[in-house]
Amino acid sequence: MNFKEIAKRGETGPLTEANDFLMKRVSANVLKLEKKYEITWDGKTLINLDDEMADRCWQAGRELLLSSGIFSMNSKRIIELSAEEIDEALRFAPAQLPMGQGKDVVRAYHRQVEDARKPFIFSGPFNADASEEHFVKLNEAFAQERLIDSLLFPGYLKKLDGQMIRPTSGLASRAAMLYGQWSREAVRRAGRPGMPITAHAVMALNEIACTNEQWGLRSTDPRAMVLISELQVDDVTMTRLAYYLAYGCPIYVAFTPLIGGYGGGPAGTAIAAAASFIAAAVLGGEIVHIGPQHIKFKQQTNQHSLFLASLVNQAVARNSSIIATTSHTTSGRPGSEQYAREFSALALTAVTSGSNVTGPRPAEPLGFNNVSPLMARLFAEVSHAAAGMKRGEAAEIVAKLYQSYKDKLDLEQAPKGQAFEQLYDLQTLRPTAEHQALYDRLKEELAGLGLPM
Amino acid sequence: MATETSGEDATREEDVTIRERDKDEIFAAMREAIENYDSDAATEAAKQAVESGIDLLEAVEKGFAGPIRRLGEAFDRMEIFLPQLMLGSDAMKAGMTVLEEAITAGGGKIQSKGTVVIGTVEGDIHDIGKTVVAALLQANGYAVQDLGVEVPASRFIEAAGSQKADIIAMSALLSTTMLYQRDVVELLGNKGLKDKYFTLVGGAPVTQAWADEIGADGYARGAYEAVQLLDSKKEAWTE
Repeated sequence: MNFKEIAKRGETGPLTEANDFLMKRVSANVLKLEKKYEITWDGKTLINLDDEMADRCWQAGRELLLSSGIFSMNSKRIIELSAEEIDEALRFAPAQLPMGQGKDVVRAYHRQVEDARKPFIFSGPFNADASEEHFVKLNEAFAQERLIDSLLFPGYLKKLDGQMIRPTSGLASRAAMLYGQWSREAVRRAGRPGMPITAHAVMALNEIACTNEQWGLRSTDPRAMVLISELQVDDVTMTRLAYYLAYGCPIYVAFTPLIGGYGGGPAGTAIAAAASFIAAAVLGGEIVHIGPQHIKFKQQTNQHSLFLASLVNQAVARNSSIIATTSHTTSGRPGSEQYAREFSALALTAVTSGSNVTGPRPAEPLGFNNVSPLMARLFAEVSHAAAGMKRGEAAEIVAKLYQSYKDKLDLEQAPKGQAFEQLYDLQTLRPTAEHQALYDRLKEELAGLGLPM
Repeated sequence: MATETSGEDATREEDVTIRERDKDEIFAAMREAIENYDSDAATEAAKQAVESGIDLLEAVEKGFAGPIRRLGEAFDRMEIFLPQLMLGSDAMKAGMTVLEEAITAGGGKIQSKGTVVIGTVEGDIHDIGKTVVAALLQANGYAVQDLGVEVPASRFIEAAGSQKADIIAMSALLSTTMLYQRDVVELLGNKGLKDKYFTLVGGAPVTQAWADEIGADGYARGAYEAVQLLDSKKEAWTE
């Protein structure tokens, strides 16, 4: 389905209020479909092992999208879709996608459940607040990690020239230009000038400001946009999409189904998530990112999110060619053991369920530069080690990891960790001895749990 | 020892018993309406309460208050989810509209814990977090005016004035938009209204430090914390 048709329906589809769309369409339909397709969660499973339920979840998601449509928040119109249009979009969803330039070209693949192929690693500051003074070094330290395939969301410049940035201001445009320029500079310094940078400007308008084939973001860099929970788009999303399509860059679409929200519990929200995967493909998303949110927890490693990530990724892996990736947000912060245990639990879940991986990053609120490139290395190693593992084997390790952190999911109880400038020597861009020792210890611990590191 | 009663007394006692039974039935209908998330049934039960002439403040307490509190608790335990919380909250609002009208007409007043205007700040379209806070505040006895999303600073202040609000609650889900919480607080200061309202901020990137920096009166990191915080501060506006 082309953009013109989607945009047209966003202006001419049935007019309704957001609350009616969410309650009378999404929630009501999810409740029916949960029963019809017998999508359930037993209250304890962390990784789904039931292939038939994964297939039913896919069918339920497809039916949810068909019966609900996509809500255009600004025009308050519903973009309704036919079964043929949905199926056509799925038929054309690319199963693999090259990105980057020159010798730094890499390729992301659609993965299968328990696929032996290594997952694609999207990693970087992941939109954490980044300080102007450390922006380039922070990103260079991520880019020098060879296991990272694409630098991810190079950090949000919250302040520039000592001034907090208002998103629609001229200063925000200047920040967007520097964002593109400094990200490119960072990968160049790391010796990977063509490394793909998965990115987006704060405002849709500023997507143009950060684009430049020489010094900024290029047409070979994936550009991101976010659907709003559940099954909603706004003018900002559609503006980005129009630009990305015209510019020809790989399109990275994220969505954030809310457990405890309009989809209900983990089972119902998995249906909403399956529908969102398909909606993302209909809109032209070539890499589709799931980042489950939770009504109580701010991270994605709680048992509800683990189960949801496993079920819906298996649904996608078994029934489509969509290139899926799963976001990893934790309660523990970089510089703590809990950080690694949490992202390892989710990476094992996602990778064995057929997903690629995005992350890790600690949950908001965050201080400046509260991320660690060394922990991104460990994240990539865990994700690679999980490739080819059986879900049952992974589930045993995940259960042990989950036990270790489940009582510290609340951000008040979770370890606070440290910022990049405390974890790294900024001259050499090498981790401090203490941070390196933490990495060594965690790697040994994970190997001891049975992960083939 | 048995007491002798005249026929008239017996009739009166019988009437009282019938009224008590009616009352219990009406309270039960009100409770069931909330438990079944049924706005029409809540309206109907509230009308019955008005027509029967029972004490309407007692009807609020024994009919609606218990189940709506329990819904809030069930939501916290994740036994029910946002749609049920909102439907229950809507049902109570529908019934309360009928009761409030009758109580006001009779010269009485339902004492809410406070009036809140709530919204997501300018430039931010994230609705759900704010909606959860609004529903939980309502379930816990606050009168809530939800202004929706992308609410400019001036709109918060106008609505607070027109609603005679006690509290202005502002949600921001993005690092980029939390700046607008500052604008609301600053504009209140410029208009000399800073002390008139309790300003509450929340949202994923928001911290106590940010609340302190911008001069907001309170910060809540979640919906329950918002209710707890306002409950603990309510002397400030109910004195």
